[in-house]
Amino acid sequence: MSLTFKGGLHPEENKITAKSPIEVMPEPATVAIAMSQHIGAPCIPTVKKGDYVYKGQTVGEGQGGLTCPVHSSISGTVIGIEDRVGAFGQKVTHVVIENDFKSELLPEIKPNSKSLEESTFDEIVEIIKSAGIAGLGGATFPTHFKVASAKGKGEKLIINCCECEPYITANHRLMLEKPEDIINGVKVVMKALDLKACHIAIEDNKKDAIKVMQEKVGNENGIDIKVLKTKYPQGDERQLIYAIDKIEIPTGKLPADVGRIVLNAETSAAIWRAFHDGIPLVDRVMTVTGDCVAQPKNLIVPLGTSISDIISYCGGYTGEIEKIISGGPMMGMAQWDETAPVIKGTASILCFGKKNKTQPSENCIHCGKCVGSCPMHLMPLYLASFAKQGDWESCREFDVLSCVECGCCTYQCPGNVPIVQYIRTAKGKLRK
Amino acid sequence: MGLLKVSASPHIRHEDTTRVLMSDVILAMIPLLIWGAYVFGLRVLTITAVSIVSCVVFEALFNLILKKKIPVGDLSAVVSGMLLAFNLPATIPLWIPVIGAFFAMVVVKGLFGGLGKNFMNPVLAARAFLFGSWPSHMTTYSAPLERLSAFGKIDAVSSATTLTELKNGALPSEDIFDLFIGNMAGCIGEVSAMLILAGGIYLLVRKVITWQIPVAFIATVALLTFAFAPDGVSNLSFMMAELFSGGVMLGAVFMATDYVTSPVTAKGRLIYGIGCGALTVFIRFFGGYPEGVSFAILIMNLFVWYLDRATKPRKFGGIRNAKA
Ligand code: SF4
Ligand code: SF4
Repeated sequence: MSLTFKGGLHPEENKITAKSPIEVMPEPATVAIAMSQHIGAPCIPTVKKGDYVYKGQTVGEGQGGLTCPVHSSISGTVIGIEDRVGAFGQKVTHVVIENDFKSELLPEIKPNSKSLEESTFDEIVEIIKSAGIAGLGGATFPTHFKVASAKGKGEKLIINCCECEPYITANHRLMLEKPEDIINGVKVVMKALDLKACHIAIEDNKKDAIKVMQEKVGNENGIDIKVLKTKYPQGDERQLIYAIDKIEIPTGKLPADVGRIVLNAETSAAIWRAFHDGIPLVDRVMTVTGDCVAQPKNLIVPLGTSISDIISYCGGYTGEIEKIISGGPMMGMAQWDETAPVIKGTASILCFGKKNKTQPSENCIHCGKCVGSCPMHLMPLYLASFAKQGDWESCREFDVLSCVECGCCTYQCPGNVPIVQYIRTAKGKLRK
Repeated sequence: MGLLKVSASPHIRHEDTTRVLMSDVILAMIPLLIWGAYVFGLRVLTITAVSIVSCVVFEALFNLILKKKIPVGDLSAVVSGMLLAFNLPATIPLWIPVIGAFFAMVVVKGLFGGLGKNFMNPVLAARAFLFGSWPSHMTTYSAPLERLSAFGKIDAVSSATTLTELKNGALPSEDIFDLFIGNMAGCIGEVSAMLILAGGIYLLVRKVITWQIPVAFIATVALLTFAFAPDGVSNLSFMMAELFSGGVMLGAVFMATDYVTSPVTAKGRLIYGIGCGALTVFIRFFGGYPEGVSFAILIMNLFVWYLDRATKPRKFGGIRNAKA
């Protein structure tokens, strides 16, 4: 029996690219590095127009602890510092770099001379921090901060390889093609925090990956594979910890408060590359897919590459495009325009054609399907109707602030009520 | 590059819209209609057609006059029309379903705000209204297999339903198997327990309904009638006769599961089903009428909002774990 949680649902998987090996996308002519690719203080450019930058060179840094530096993903010349609309719809400063196609790596970058055994907590956290690693599952929480704040509290590491969103196959392919990187990253974090146990959590629709990971892990001390039922949103940290350990993170607390630290599979691999080779986060694996792109692929893409460059590399559109989504179909963000660059959190780019138009919204028929599918055990229909009436206090009373915006309720709703939109409005009002 | 369409997540939807769910309900009821026509004659089809057309037309007119969007596309008026007909005897004059449809669609559903807002099941409210206004029309049943023609004059002798016998504390003369397959007098769509259960299973498999209401409803009626069977009759036969007679099956599977007028939580649905079952038996045993299903459901309808609130699930993370 696979482990699971209560609520949630199983949308059509559409993992069209599950069998496509990861390809390395050639570098584009220009990249635009966003100064805010993570949760926390945005970065300030550390270069100016006209500067030459190496691949892997820091081009932006932020103030304080909760931030994450950004690096150039190519070598070339800075041709502009521009304000543009970022992936989340807000204005973000971008460092635009023109490629010299020499792929000149920053000379200071070299493999680590210290072994893992000799490395200390502080050294490892510093490596993760200066490599600019943030949660690559899409949440983009600065990883060094997560690791540092788990010091003394963490009992167990959980590697999230669920990839519960439909379409996305980036983690799946990474497990098949670079399992050692993921496992080595695990060892780095376990060493830093002196952890004795790690679960690698994989959904049961990825049988081949489970097998590969099981083989690679072998009898490694303290590391094991946990097989989870394929269900959305299994990749949500709360549901993941619950499925494995049957512990609910109390409202308002973090995984560290229950002794858990959860990292995405690719984040773990990035930690290993930073630790072992000294390479900062300059590219990532992403799935480019949907019914409107000619050749769906899994790609390694330099950060800052524009969506349109990626799509032309994948053979362009096959029809009239309706929507481009950065991230999965359940929680991803629809993009304003194709020139937007990809960032650390971009796990996939979905191209949906006209036939995916959503119907106009109708009435709530009180069917209760949203209640049954809510992984946070809320009553979405009432949240939506209170929000519609502007009754924010009732929204609070019905725990609107616990909603994780997973989208299960709206997905399931036969009346096509835009529940999540109502909930976002209510949360916005209550947080003011 | 042109600007793209931006809309909020989630970007995909389950294919079961209200219309799809209602089509499933209609599909599940078609065998009942065919069986009704087989047992009581083609007049059943005429009544059902009149009822459906009236429901659809009244709803459309009502929305037209109030300049609301016409929601006929969601098929719920068709479902109401079928259910209304199913709750009438085959001898009913054809103007009665028209009045029933007006009451259901305009008075109950329309004036209380359309699908999703009315607090009483419109079909059952209409049935209760018709019952109160024209009791003799509503209780003149034709005998099974004495088929009435589609439009002709009705000269069938009225036949008592098994409920009357049960009310008097005796077992009906029909054998249980006839009651189960539906070879007996009664309302158009309620006689065949077998086909209703088959429809219920289909709706469960298609996830149109959940098990809690029908199971709790039927189990409660079974338990109570078994425990309180009158002296001198077999408890088991009495229980089965009670279950397969009158509207218990149709009520439990198709009427009490009406979304709008039933609770949304699993726990709420269980309590609701138990309440419907207990009230049904109570009215059948102690009430003035032999049948109690419609009134039981209508009474429970009044508690839906309260049940929803009272069974609000504990939110995830809402209590402290031992370990946290
Ligand atoms: S979006 Fe919020 S309310 Fe809707 S199912 Fe997810 S957690 Fe529940
Ligand atoms: S799923 Fe939609 S129609 Fe059903 S109760 Fe929830 S909001 Fe209402």
